[in-house]
Amino acid sequence: MAEQAIKLTSDDYKSGVKPIWCPGCGDYAVYNAVLNALAELKVPFHKIAIGSGIGCSGRFPAFVKSYGFHGVHGRALPLATGMKMANPELTVLAIGGDGDGFSIGGGHLAHAARRNVDLTYIIMDNEIYGLTKGQPSPTSPQGMVRKASPYGTLEQPLNPLAMILAANASFVARGFSGRPKDLAVLVKRGMEHKGFSFIQVISPCVSWYNTYKKFRAIAKMLPEDHDTSDMGAAMKYAQDTETLWLGVFFERKALAYHELEANLQKQVHQDGYGVKSVVDRFLR
Amino acid sequence: MTKEYIDGATAIARGALAAGCNFYAGYPITPATPILLHMERELPKVGGVAVEAEDEIAGIGMCIGAVMGGARAMTATSGPGISLYSENIGLAIMGETPLVIVDVQRMGPATGGATTTAQGDIQFIHWGTSGGYPIIALAPSSVSECYGLTRKAFDLAERFRCPVFLVVDKEMVSSLATVEIEAYEEVPVRERRLAPEAVGDRDPRWRPEETYLPYDFQPVDAVQPMSHFGGPHIVRFTTSSHDEHGFLTKDAKKVGRLNTHLDAKISAHRDEIELGRLDRQDAAEVLFVAYGTTARAMEEAVQRARAAGQTVSALVVQSLWPLPKTLLAEALQGIRRVVVAELNLGQYRREVELIALRLAVRNGGQPPIVEGLNRVDGEQITPEQFLAMLAGGTP
Repeated sequence: MAEQAIKLTSDDYKSGVKPIWCPGCGDYAVYNAVLNALAELKVPFHKIAIGSGIGCSGRFPAFVKSYGFHGVHGRALPLATGMKMANPELTVLAIGGDGDGFSIGGGHLAHAARRNVDLTYIIMDNEIYGLTKGQPSPTSPQGMVRKASPYGTLEQPLNPLAMILAANASFVARGFSGRPKDLAVLVKRGMEHKGFSFIQVISPCVSWYNTYKKFRAIAKMLPEDHDTSDMGAAMKYAQDTETLWLGVFFERKALAYHELEANLQKQVHQDGYGVKSVVDRFLR
Repeated sequence: MTKEYIDGATAIARGALAAGCNFYAGYPITPATPILLHMERELPKVGGVAVEAEDEIAGIGMCIGAVMGGARAMTATSGPGISLYSENIGLAIMGETPLVIVDVQRMGPATGGATTTAQGDIQFIHWGTSGGYPIIALAPSSVSECYGLTRKAFDLAERFRCPVFLVVDKEMVSSLATVEIEAYEEVPVRERRLAPEAVGDRDPRWRPEETYLPYDFQPVDAVQPMSHFGGPHIVRFTTSSHDEHGFLTKDAKKVGRLNTHLDAKISAHRDEIELGRLDRQDAAEVLFVAYGTTARAMEEAVQRARAAGQTVSALVVQSLWPLPKTLLAEALQGIRRVVVAELNLGQYRREVELIALRLAVRNGGQPPIVEGLNRVDGEQITPEQFLAMLAGGTP
């Protein structure tokens, strides 16, 4: 069967279910960037798996013409890991928000990175819980006043990029929904990277915490001479809170988890190991 | 006749491999760790994948993802781990994921006794996730049964597209026993039923979801064949109430039908699940009921009692959930007194008592007295305790 000889546009990757995000939501830019990357990379529909957890990000998979899973809160990465290991032919994307990915599901992030699971994890970070109507999130600035923090939050925000760099993720980037063209390039690069790609996208919430203006004022592409193999430099840019640096912070080549597993399987493979011999040879 | 000296963990791992399990993910926890060790060592040899996950939530989560991707998966833990599995057990129920979950019970609550045996999770696993939907639970009572019932668990998981528990305890998994090879039962394990190939090329007009609706249940207790991620149909898997395509819906009619389906597919087919060994003795008025390791002491007590000229019937329950009503009704016929023995404070006794009362109401007779023989001190119930109960004693 001829697989997609016809040229595909990003519109072809729409599922037909229309996104239900608020008009002006930063998530639309991420959606368009993902559709664009899929079309440019010519990924066949039946090779794409997109997973999510709970939050405004949770509905993302339903809007793309692909296999989709919408799991419980914060657990997109374990599900995506299992799926990639069971079927390495899939191009796997996991989509989350700052609550899903850094709070309830924060424990999985470093482990997906250290396994170097070959998937692209996009966090649409709006620094607020949007779906539940505006509670502070782990990336909200200290002192944020909301109904759930009537006297201002006491906690400092996390620095997701510094965290994921510390976990030695093999691809670390940051984009901004206010710069959709640059974002599209980043998402495509993340998907092309073999291994765990982490992309933090500053994706403002127009209903509960509109940061477009704040971040437009300080957003800047990383200098062209930034050496993406330099972890120290990447960490320095990640820790700069005066400027919102955008682009690929860090990238390194390494075997992905499923490749390591395949090598292991070859190494320990035993001919004729089967149901019968399970009883005969097991544990001997 | 070939004999070997092995433990339950080995038999469970073998049963899983023989059933075609090719994915395992779990987090180390006493007393379930030996199963993890076997799977980590053996699975790569057969082209399978075993992952030591970062926690229990990730362990079961990876299994669910792997099943969507086409794998046959198993995970094992103990009570504290089941607590962490809880939400994803709900996901497996909602997403109709065939999955085997081994619960190697230890003393609770909380950390309890990590190296101490117990049967305290019986009600917990039944109602261990939100919403209140049925699960299937099998309980082997010997090392050889660990092998056969693990296979059975995989079979039922495929039949009903749901998580199936294999409930054992610390003693079952880590105590060595002499087993005759011939005692391993090669319980048939059915293949996964897959949706037929889609019609047409995979071009932009490809709409195979129109030829296969993954959540369209006709009739409501029917189980739809699966289609994997990477397979011939666009499928969607969701934790939310969904329509026949797998899209989130709040349509009351569709939500009601989905939730009725999740119950009916199991509840309407209890007869395919009920398993147990009923050892009836004519004219016996006392019935012992036990499961798991406790059943072994019971069987020894029954032999000794009969050798001494006493009469007693005994039931080993192998399918704990859904409640084996037919089996219990048969066992309760003509019985005046029931002793339910378990390493908890009467979790299964309450079920047996309810069945006994219901039968008495229906048949117009006097219900039997239902008593418990219970221990929660980490020690096994002994044959002597059963015999004392038979002699009319109280626990």
